[in-house]
Amino acid sequence: MSCGHHGPGCYVSFDAEICDGCTRCVRSCPTKAIRVRDGKVVHKQEACIGCGNCLRICPRGAVRASSTDLSHLDKSRISVALVTPILYAQFPGVLPKDILKGLKRLGFNHTVDMSYFFEMFQFATEEFVRRNRETQKVPWPLLSPVCPVVMRLVQTRFPGLIPHIHPIKRPVAIMAKQVIRTLSKHYGVNESFINMCYINPCPTKKGDIPGTTDESFTNGGPYAMGIRDIYTRLAREVEHVRNIEAIPMTSASYEFEQCTSGDGLLWGMSGGETVVSDIEKSLSVSGLDETVSMLEKIEMGLFRDIEYIEFRACTEGCIGGALTAIDKYLAKSASQGMIKLLGTGKRLNRDRINRLYEKDWFFSKRSEQGFLENEGFTATPLTIEEMRKIDGLVQLINGRDCAACGAPDCRTFAEDVVRGETPADACLMLRAKGLTGEQVMKHINSKECGHACQRFG
Amino acid sequence: MNLLRRTYPVREGDFIHAGEASIHVKNTLKSLNYNQDIVRRVAICGYEAEMNMVMHGGDGVLKVMISPDMIRLKVEDSGPGIEDTELAMQEGYSTARDEFREMGFGAGMGLPNMKRNSDELFVDSAPGRGTAVTMWFTVAGGCP
Repeated sequence: MSCGHHGPGCYVSFDAEICDGCTRCVRSCPTKAIRVRDGKVVHKQEACIGCGNCLRICPRGAVRASSTDLSHLDKSRISVALVTPILYAQFPGVLPKDILKGLKRLGFNHTVDMSYFFEMFQFATEEFVRRNRETQKVPWPLLSPVCPVVMRLVQTRFPGLIPHIHPIKRPVAIMAKQVIRTLSKHYGVNESFINMCYINPCPTKKGDIPGTTDESFTNGGPYAMGIRDIYTRLAREVEHVRNIEAIPMTSASYEFEQCTSGDGLLWGMSGGETVVSDIEKSLSVSGLDETVSMLEKIEMGLFRDIEYIEFRACTEGCIGGALTAIDKYLAKSASQGMIKLLGTGKRLNRDRINRLYEKDWFFSKRSEQGFLENEGFTATPLTIEEMRKIDGLVQLINGRDCAACGAPDCRTFAEDVVRGETPADACLMLRAKGLTGEQVMKHINSKECGHACQRFG
Repeated sequence: MNLLRRTYPVREGDFIHAGEASIHVKNTLKSLNYNQDIVRRVAICGYEAEMNMVMHGGDGVLKVMISPDMIRLKVEDSGPGIEDTELAMQEGYSTARDEFREMGFGAGMGLPNMKRNSDELFVDSAPGRGTAVTMWFTVAGGCP
């Protein structure tokens, strides 16, 4: 039994039967969205950004990402697999086209590789940066919109940086839009007959219900499968494809049905977005802690001379995603090997992209940038008096962020106490000092409480 | 009283932790729902002041006082002090050691930046007596 956090609005769910309340996930959460209360995990869904840290760290496997099951593929509709280069990296030494053939054997009618749309995004981005140098419409540094986790992190923890977000549609949104339009025209059917399924390296799908629509195209469509959820079955099919060489690759009817390029494979790794672009003053940052620390610095007014920053919440980039199947360093080596084989270079015509650019084709609505539905979620603001009580309680505890209370650190615990969400006697340090909950509350409500702060906590 | 005071220690030469006090102040102001403009200005001033202390200052403290309509940042250090305050306020004037310039600091924009981003700034310093910089920020429209 999972603990009642099903449905849309939830990237991950926790199985209360398996959870033993160890607090590892609590401490790993970058938005402090998890607590342990009465020995069981409590997930504050509205603060979850779907980074997958809890999923990686849980020693008991109690955390599960939302994923569409293969059996949910509707045979009466046209199913399309939207493939990121991270999938190829999971099969060292295997040619990308064999992996796409394997996907078709799993029941997909079409496979679409993302490289084509990466190139579109890249050209449009270069054009935007060039023009922004003159107009300065968007403040430097621009923040890459590619990683949806970072977008949600900016929205929840750094709303002041929202104006810095690069306004070009994310590659996955460009892909979803064009694929559904082209294929519905090709088959002469309504768009609802095309089922796009994103083969996902990270838990960015919301909810367990397979038909939950996601208008924002955060996931490329209503369906998303974690790479590791289909890996075993796909590996079997790929093996089959490689043994029987007679299976020909059906020729691609559309440009985007082509196989991947070296440039596309680069995108799976940190730095791949910036290395093939002609923006000189760019940085690439990967890892959640590093991303948070970078965003803190940008908020302090640093890095104004940088034009573009690529962010990936996962270490080493998307190949480090929480739903990938093989070790990220093996995947990196596999990608590098394949890039050497395929070579790099652009395939799209820049002039054509520039014409689309002129028609405002690439500019996104906020919803298409992977934003949370509940616009700008932030915790209820505290008053100065409450903040003083929190400072005082942190000093009184003088703790070591042990998380035994079920909050990630002493300051968050103090905040929970002042907000009335948890009792003060949940703290072992206070109990060890012989203080009762009543005495603690009396202290923090007194006038002398909280007038200095020597620790960061 | 509707007032919050905090004191943060800042250590000379500690580049690893430099800026943490300002980040903490910035995040506190965000939780208190101050407007983005003032949060940004306080953060920039705090950061510049902290860097000055880390580079020149000797050990010192960053003090913050937060009230509904005013925010005060005060940094006090036991460093060599400033010989000519007027000169120090000029853009591009720097006495930073070469090693810090190589790290990308010491462009002579610290005090001018603090002056630009605060509503009032006072420098109290003399050679051998250390430096105290006080910055005031007026909260437009009062506390949220």
